[in-house]
Amino acid sequence: MAAVYKSLSKGSSKEDKEADSHAAAERKNKQRVLVLSSRGVTYRHRHLLNDLASMLPHGRKDAKFDSKSKLYQLNELAELYNCNNVLFFEARKGKDLYMWFSKVPNGPTVKFFAQNLHTMEELHFQGNCLKGSRPILSFDGAFESEPYLRVIKEVFMQIFGVPQGARKSKPFIDHVMSFSVADGKIWVRNYEIREVERAKGEAGNDDNGDEPDKKPSKGGPKGGKDTDINLIEIGPRFVLTPIVIQEGAFGGPIIYENKRFISPNKIRAELRKAKAGRHVARMEQQRESLARRKQLGLDDGKPKKEPAGLDTRDLFA
Amino acid sequence: MAKKSATQSPKAGVKPKSQAVNGTSAEKKKDGSRRKSAEQPTVEKMDVDNQEDLEEESSEEEAPEANGKTEEPRSDESSDEDSEGDGDSSDASGDEGIGHIDIEAIDDSESESELDSDDEDQGAKLGKLQDNKDDEEGEDDDEEEEIDVDELEPEDEEDEEQIAAGTRVRQTINNKEALLTSLRRFALDTNPKKVPFAFHQTVVSSKRTEDSIPSVEDDLQRELAFVNQALEAARQGRALLRKEGVPFTRPTDYFAETVRSDETMQKVRAKLVEEATAKKAAAEARKQRDLKKFGKQVQVQKQLERAKQKREALEKINLLKKKRAADGSANLGATEAEDLFDVAVDNELNASGSSKKRKSPGDGKGERSAKRQRKDAKYGFGGKKRFSKSGDAMSSGDLSGFNAKKMKSGSFGGGGGKKKGVKAARPGKSRRKSMAAKR
Repeated sequence: MAAVYKSLSKGSSKEDKEADSHAAAERKNKQRVLVLSSRGVTYRHRHLLNDLASMLPHGRKDAKFDSKSKLYQLNELAELYNCNNVLFFEARKGKDLYMWFSKVPNGPTVKFFAQNLHTMEELHFQGNCLKGSRPILSFDGAFESEPYLRVIKEVFMQIFGVPQGARKSKPFIDHVMSFSVADGKIWVRNYEIREVERAKGEAGNDDNGDEPDKKPSKGGPKGGKDTDINLIEIGPRFVLTPIVIQEGAFGGPIIYENKRFISPNKIRAELRKAKAGRHVARMEQQRESLARRKQLGLDDGKPKKEPAGLDTRDLFA
Repeated sequence: MAKKSATQSPKAGVKPKSQAVNGTSAEKKKDGSRRKSAEQPTVEKMDVDNQEDLEEESSEEEAPEANGKTEEPRSDESSDEDSEGDGDSSDASGDEGIGHIDIEAIDDSESESELDSDDEDQGAKLGKLQDNKDDEEGEDDDEEEEIDVDELEPEDEEDEEQIAAGTRVRQTINNKEALLTSLRRFALDTNPKKVPFAFHQTVVSSKRTEDSIPSVEDDLQRELAFVNQALEAARQGRALLRKEGVPFTRPTDYFAETVRSDETMQKVRAKLVEEATAKKAAAEARKQRDLKKFGKQVQVQKQLERAKQKREALEKINLLKKKRAADGSANLGATEAEDLFDVAVDNELNASGSSKKRKSPGDGKGERSAKRQRKDAKYGFGGKKRFSKSGDAMSSGDLSGFNAKKMKSGSFGGGGGKKKGVKAARPGKSRRKSMAAKR
């Protein structure tokens, strides 16, 4: 009975919420990300997942998801955890990693092929940042050029951007996540912002504009007027090739498909084929030369051998 | 271009064909659509030879399908249109697959193929098409890329039909309209006028990063471009956040859990130190090696110098001798004595030669004092001092101390001597008595 009441009251409250959410939609950015992988991830995929999860204080890491075909079940799972984003690592063949970024209740879903994975640990970079500090998200200018890139940008923004006032987030900003488009792929990097003494030469050339504005906001922890920024990479690194964008969450019509993406299976098959092709060509050549020799009467196909009288086998028979 | 597409009717998808017929640019990609439109009486602007060209092209372009981007069993006549359309798309894939990065071009090709796929309801659209043809001629190629959401739904049905007909066309999709609608549905408001920067903390750089990367393969250049992008964003973000009064810098006394644990950082630092020491050691070793090499060089240099000195001295002597020989005929008598002993040569050598040579004899050995010489003669000087007192051939051959008498007289062969000595010393008792009686 209590459960029924609860659900009913919840429903009504949801309506209320929706009503005032329209008013407060501009202000409130509530994101929760369900981070999980499929079965069959390698250690590297797992570490990458952990790295990303550690950077997402608004994330909820879950156990491995069992199915690879019924991804729509992730919607329910996300709902169960009150998540409105899903970051799903799908490993195939124990080597290929596909990353799904999805906005859960009603899409879209972006599927990427992840390459060049390097986890934080294996990259011996010196950078470090607070766990759960809000990153500055840096997007390449190219993200504004194409609709599909704009969608991807928005998805990244909501998944990787830690919402303001997230529960476990820290109050300072000390890292940048950068997303760049190059070669039709999206390259993801993570840098620490380290404040250094500003060199005299560049003092006040680029921050000149906001220098006076900074003074009123001096109530901050540090004056830091004469500091410059430099970036130190933290990791992880990975490269994402967009494959497909679906309109729904793990379903719905496909609204973008990247034709330039060639599945790694195909690439491997081509490689194998090329390798096999070499052998085939060689055999062909051999056969041809044999045939030619036969035609010229040079060879009967099998090498003749004169029985030599002084053969060891004969001598010591 | 997106806005334009939004304004267009759902049937906008067919328009590009008419445009393609007008043949402004990118003819290669459009051949499929052209041929299709040729089937329809209304859109017959293209000339015949052009069409033939295009057909050839498309037949060529079906080859790249082997690289596996589009696969379809093209079989029966009923799917003629579709397969043509597909040839089109494969064309694009063949082009793009080689790997130049013109996104624009890709989109063109993609949209083309999409458009071609939905020509089921072309008949219905033809009237409209003709109407639109005139005013669309001015529009650019990007127009072709647009498709409405409404169009997408019939596409699925078509797919089923195609499957039923035994053909499966893999479409390349870039449904910009749908993408934008979807974006609108879930996008956060990041309008800088309404929303503070701290709300989203997103910076979109003004320029494309790819433009500053000469080659994607070049790691250094690429990473530099990324860092520059991020740095720009960080600067901008910091300025904006400071303006909004959001704390940015972590104070030094604020300790909290970090993303990378202390152990990891320790490891990183240890690795750094190790690298530094290795580098240092390598440099040291190299220096040592160089020094060794240099030392050898010095040695060689010295030897060469010595050889040179010697050569010079010899030359000088020869020269002098020659000169002497030449002069000798003139004043032979005067210098004969000197000539005999080459005193002049010695003088010359001594004069020109190194001062060392002159010094060393003068140092002491040559001029020993008379007293010293006498002492040396008396006590010896130099030579071996060991075994000076042990016997040698001389001493053992020296028989001056030998005395034969002494040798006979005893002290040798102890027993006889003893007897004799005892007897001589004292006779026996009876003997002594008789001796005494005799006396």
